[in-house]
Amino acid sequence: MSGCPGSRTMDFSEKEGKSESETGKRQSQLRQWPIQFHLVSPLAPYFQQKDVLLVADCVPFALADFHKDYLKGKSIAIACPKLDSDQEVYIEKVKALIDDSKINTLTVMIMQVPCCFGLVQVAKEGAEKATRKIPIKQVVVGIEGGVLSEEWI
Amino acid sequence: MEKILNKEIKGIIEKHPEVGKILDEYGIGCSPCSVGSCLMKDIVGIHNLDPQQEATLMYRIEKAIYPDRNVPKPKVDLTKKAAPKKISYSPPVKKLVDEHVLIKRLLALIPSIVSYIEKSAKVDKDLVLRCVDFIRNYADKYHHMKEEDILFKYVDENAEIIQIMYKDHDTGRNHIRQVVEGAESGNKAQIKEHIFGYRDLLTQHIKKEDEILYPWIDRQLSDTQVGEMFRKCNEADASVGDALPRKYENFIKELEGKFQKEVVK
Ligand code: SF4
Ligand SMILES: [Fe+2]
Ligand SMILES: [Fe+2]
Repeated sequence: MSGCPGSRTMDFSEKEGKSESETGKRQSQLRQWPIQFHLVSPLAPYFQQKDVLLVADCVPFALADFHKDYLKGKSIAIACPKLDSDQEVYIEKVKALIDDSKINTLTVMIMQVPCCFGLVQVAKEGAEKATRKIPIKQVVVGIEGGVLSEEWI
Repeated sequence: MEKILNKEIKGIIEKHPEVGKILDEYGIGCSPCSVGSCLMKDIVGIHNLDPQQEATLMYRIEKAIYPDRNVPKPKVDLTKKAAPKKISYSPPVKKLVDEHVLIKRLLALIPSIVSYIEKSAKVDKDLVLRCVDFIRNYADKYHHMKEEDILFKYVDENAEIIQIMYKDHDTGRNHIRQVVEGAESGNKAQIKEHIFGYRDLLTQHIKKEDEILYPWIDRQLSDTQVGEMFRKCNEADASVGDALPRKYENFIKELEGKFQKEVVK
């Protein structure tokens, strides 16, 4: 029970699925490639004037309806604020998304563990450097897959 | 109970005034609202009570309407997660809420301004007209226009609540016309009647917007619309420049300085 709470081992395999429908096939809502924040160019056509998600790597694994409820209609970049290197580059890319690609909104999706909040910090710093202002939303996802909070910051 | 939930609040309160009082206790001020067509279930929903509170509230209302009925004690639906108490506005709507603050600061000064006018031998026409200038150019042009030209366009403009908002804006303009007339002719009673009328109207109007209308609109907006509305509001603000809000904030500060001193004396 010691050490970083973000990497504490937990097992909830006993958790029962609540009568969810598992029938039918869903389509991917991904409309771009690449998606890793170091690999994408902030000037890519798929970012122009779009609503953009900046998603922590772990989020889509926890959130069952990620495609349907969040990715649909949006563009995406993913990153891990704990393990990725050169995060100043991320800050500059957020700035470029806002100023150069003139994105419409930015939604930062993170896990509830403390170290994941670093990604919100990256977004905020990039937004502060930008001259344009846009609405930024923070979505916090629980490790058991629920959306814990969703608010404009 | 289902029946009560699907009724309009105005009818319920008219028939059972104690329901208005119960709602007041929960911070749900429907009695003074002129709309009245909100359904009971929407009112309860819009105020984001936690499940326990909501169940108790509904129990008390049902008891008030049907005192003889054997109403079952509230069952709490714990599957419904408690909604956050604090209203969280989207950025463009938050900006409008912030603008209300400056308007409310003027409204708070109105009683002092009126007693000053009543006490002075001659109506301080310049003072009245400067307040009118604030109301017309800041509250009305700068603020209400963004509501009318941008915000309200995102919802069904025929909804009764939106129609009431338009009417409130108009009623406010009429009061101000009367205030100007009073100032021109030195008619203190006319100024008093209509500046107080404006104050009461706007106080309720702003409360309705902050607590009911804006959250209701926010809930219907997609992220794309939030971004778009943010841009449109910023463009509207940029077209008048930031000198305008600054000028009117200074005006309010000046008035507060003047009237706080007067009150202390
Ligand atoms: S910081 Fe976030 S994305 Fe990175 S490992 Fe932790 S939870 Fe996953
Ligand atoms: Fe209004
Ligand atoms: Fe308003």
